[in-house]
Amino acid sequence: MLPRVAPPGPPGRDDAAAGHPSPGADDVPAGAPEHDADRWAAPDQAESPSLARSAGTIAIASLISRITGFAWKVMLVWVLGIGVANDSFNVANTLPNIVYELLLGGVLASIVVPLLVRSQDDPDGGLAYTQRLLTVALTTLAAATVIAVVAAPAFTAIYVDSSTDRANSELTTAFAYLLLPQVFFYGVFALLMAILNARNIFGPPAWAPVVNNLVIMTTIGVYALVPGQISLDPVSMGDAKILTLGVGVTIGIVAQAAMLLPPLLRSGFRFRWRWGIDERMKEFGALAAWIVGYVLVSQLGYIVTTRVLTAGAPGGMTAYYNAWLLFQLPYGVLGVSLLTAIMPRMSRAAADGDDHGLIGHLSYASRISTVTLLPIAAVMTVVGSSAGIALYSIGQGAEGAGAERLGQALAISAFGLLPYALVMLQLRVFYALKDARTPTLIMLVMTAVKVPLLYLCPILLAPHQIVLGAMLVNSLTFVVGAFLGQVWLWARLGNLRSKRVLGVIIFTVAACALGVATAVGAGMLVPGTLPEIVEAWITLLVQATVGLGVSFGALAALGLEELKPVTSRVSRLVRRS
Amino acid sequence: MNDWRSEHGGVPRSSIRASRGALAPGGVVGDGRYRLLAQLGVDERAGAHLWRARDGQLRRDVALTVLVGDPADVTAARGAQRTLERAAHASQFGHRNVARVLDVLSIGDGIASTEGLLGIVVAEWTKGTDLVDMIGDGPVAPATACRMLEPLAEAVDRAHNQGLVLGIDHPQRVRRSPDGTVRLVFPGPLPNGTLRDDVKALGAYLYLLLTGYWPLEQGPAAIPAAPTGKDGALRHPQNLRPEVPKELSALAARTIEDSGGGGVRTSAAFLRVLSQIAQDEEHKAYLRRTGAETEQPGYTEADGTVWTTRRPVTDAGQRKKLAFGATVLVVAAVGIIAWIGLSLISFFSDEDAAIGPDFNVAETTQQDDEDSDEQGEGNAGSGQEGPEPSLAEVEPGHVQGYNPKGTGDHPDRAPNAIDGNPDTSWVTSQYKQQLPALKPGTGLSLTFEEPIELHKVDVLSESTGTEIEIRTAQHPNSYLDSTEILGSGQVTERETGIELDEPTTVTYVMIWITELGGPDGAFESEINELTFYTSE
Repeated sequence: MLPRVAPPGPPGRDDAAAGHPSPGADDVPAGAPEHDADRWAAPDQAESPSLARSAGTIAIASLISRITGFAWKVMLVWVLGIGVANDSFNVANTLPNIVYELLLGGVLASIVVPLLVRSQDDPDGGLAYTQRLLTVALTTLAAATVIAVVAAPAFTAIYVDSSTDRANSELTTAFAYLLLPQVFFYGVFALLMAILNARNIFGPPAWAPVVNNLVIMTTIGVYALVPGQISLDPVSMGDAKILTLGVGVTIGIVAQAAMLLPPLLRSGFRFRWRWGIDERMKEFGALAAWIVGYVLVSQLGYIVTTRVLTAGAPGGMTAYYNAWLLFQLPYGVLGVSLLTAIMPRMSRAAADGDDHGLIGHLSYASRISTVTLLPIAAVMTVVGSSAGIALYSIGQGAEGAGAERLGQALAISAFGLLPYALVMLQLRVFYALKDARTPTLIMLVMTAVKVPLLYLCPILLAPHQIVLGAMLVNSLTFVVGAFLGQVWLWARLGNLRSKRVLGVIIFTVAACALGVATAVGAGMLVPGTLPEIVEAWITLLVQATVGLGVSFGALAALGLEELKPVTSRVSRLVRRS
Repeated sequence: MNDWRSEHGGVPRSSIRASRGALAPGGVVGDGRYRLLAQLGVDERAGAHLWRARDGQLRRDVALTVLVGDPADVTAARGAQRTLERAAHASQFGHRNVARVLDVLSIGDGIASTEGLLGIVVAEWTKGTDLVDMIGDGPVAPATACRMLEPLAEAVDRAHNQGLVLGIDHPQRVRRSPDGTVRLVFPGPLPNGTLRDDVKALGAYLYLLLTGYWPLEQGPAAIPAAPTGKDGALRHPQNLRPEVPKELSALAARTIEDSGGGGVRTSAAFLRVLSQIAQDEEHKAYLRRTGAETEQPGYTEADGTVWTTRRPVTDAGQRKKLAFGATVLVVAAVGIIAWIGLSLISFFSDEDAAIGPDFNVAETTQQDDEDSDEQGEGNAGSGQEGPEPSLAEVEPGHVQGYNPKGTGDHPDRAPNAIDGNPDTSWVTSQYKQQLPALKPGTGLSLTFEEPIELHKVDVLSESTGTEIEIRTAQHPNSYLDSTEILGSGQVTERETGIELDEPTTVTYVMIWITELGGPDGAFESEINELTFYTSE
């Protein structure tokens, strides 16, 4: 019953290829096998609390994991600064996600999970299927990990454009050697999570990423304490600082995967090597091919992004990456707390062939996203620079103007927040309709728009501005994606009641304009004589409060019915915690 | 319900069961066999909660009519018993538009006494749409309404012939099935339900489909109750929506109303009239379709299965073509927007750069070992600093002409050289002879607000051939002899960087032109922009 809320990237960590939503399984059908001694025992229903309640805890767990995940990236800026070192780390740390995603991500969500659920109907409770699955997956993962580590320099060459001499590919490669082993543990985590979820065990998989984040935070602490600095020339793998960061972050993922072993063993599962491919896997071949295609195409966009950024001024990659995380934070929170309720209903409507209900849910979800995300986006546009300085201009992050540029990148791209959310929603609808092809084709068009525009950035912009351009382009591609998604859903389903959505958007934009105006006004009242970071914090808090307050206040005054479930839901969440 | 919650609340282990009083999604009922998935409504008249659930044993979805109540309440228990009996009878009855009753559970027979339930009617699950949701989007075209209802009326008629009451009289008990007709999904007639109630319900559904209002009492909260006239009588559908045909409006009203003559009292009568109207409507719709393009968008129908209150636009093929067009348009539009956006960034940030110290413009990772130690702790660990010091722009506070050996050379335009706008410039006078014929040189004198360590000066100028010296002095108007040369260079391209021989701390800087650009006989040098770099 727990829907995976569109994490852009592998499960548990949402720092995958920035800007590329990844497909995921929607809901795991309920219904558990009855008890039987001879086989893998069915999940004990009486033991676990009601699903509705556990869904609540899971929402909190994933919220915490998102927040801690975001926190360690901010901390990393404090100790590494916004420069070449952080750029190199970021590129290297995305490589495992990418390899994993190409190898297993899409396949896992689209094939393995549904089959895991179905296999519980097997006479043996799905034991053989799970063993076979693990055997195949673990071997593939192990082999892929070894190859990936060996090929680390090749990855660096693909993702880093060092022709302008502004990037440090040796450092990236050094990090990549240390970080690429994560591929294996990512895979293990994702598999175990799928197995546990299929058996209605949701708690440990939801909390494991929090453990990972805590390990990384500790690592960053140790890194700050280790004396010396990263030597950029020559780069040495034996450098204490490089080792601390690389090994520590990898251990985080190991811990995350290891967290799931005890619950798996407790469920009565015993692993045994079992070779061969289950016949049922083949049914899903075509669907998986398109999903893998989707991942491949989105990777192309990502490669160009990193190349353009690494060819620009140092720190660009870090600024882009962190701005992107800030950008999608509101969506993440909203997705967890609001859309979880709608997603399963949507896929059920699609499964029942109930187009009408499907359109209703889509339209409703779009409108809810509009009233919640547009004001946030508007305020982000205003407070962007302050937010950048407030959060990142600490420690090494205060060097240079990187923090402010990061904030500007956020401000420039904030308009893409709603389109981004809509793209994710539409993606869900397409997959619910068992149509993996259209999203891939839309992604293809988005990438076709994105790549030339990215290459336009270095031509039109100075090196230090490239990150601003890249974020702008990223947001614009989501605008393209949202339009295309709507158009092609229309082509398939007919009237989508877009007019109503558009009406709500217009109302909300009007309310936001009011909010922005007052926020700008309020910002002028903040005295300019304070230290930069204090001023940034005050500006951020004042403008955010005023901007959001006025925007939502205006929406409430307009009596938008879409706001009601939001307010009631929020108050319920508050009450629950 | 709260009463027995406190009675049975002390049982800690079986929290997932319905014994806590709340039927929640994910909970199980029927001694653990049925897992509740989603509640689709409540018939409050009988305390019947309508659920979609999963049969854990047979692994299929079922529709549960869960009768909730206090087992100690004799009346309620007896009523529930009656409902279950009637439902059990109905299990003999088969019709396409009535979900088959699969099982009937009562206390002690499928339901544990601790569950707090009086009984459950298990019926096969029907895919489709809630009528409530459907009506939420507006009423249905008359012809569609007829077609949706006809099979149900038929079912009621057949059931009544066998003496069975179906209990269709609550809009959440039925759904629109995928074939587009109304189907009874949650059977379980009220204990006191009559044949007449079924017939009235048929009229009520017709009313509901045509107007969006529910004309009977105690309908679900999600559907507004039908408005009544001054005399308390039900308003006819036609009064609410003029486009409803008169016959249909009358049929609905006459079936519902108990009083007055000419009422429709039997299902057979209802079915007869409905079929007649349906035929007429279909004929009219056909004429409209085949005739000129219809003027009634809400009532056209693409085909029998899809109904809509709006114009069912075109066919899928045409939509696809349109979608292709839209795709191309969107891509082009966004391309243009992006170009504009990038240009705006470039434009605004250029100004930014001129105002304050900027980020690291110089290359940072050159292979250059000297100096790396001196960079020292300040940049330690930040990693962005290569061995070479990184440079930041610094803006002079004041600029004036520097012309110690003559006059002219547009001192009033001097500020154009540092205004951050490459389109404005400072230019020398035009000379017939190259320097130093008339004077040894000319230039600009710049003053910084505080001493800076100057590394480099960028000169933006079209006047190639211009020779420039960077000089410093103790005073903005020093004699040429008391100035010191820090570096020099020739303008060879639009942007020329002049590195100082070695970084020097200065407050006053002279840009001294010793050789002018331009053609013979019309020598002049123009400087659009000067940019000064200091170490960070």
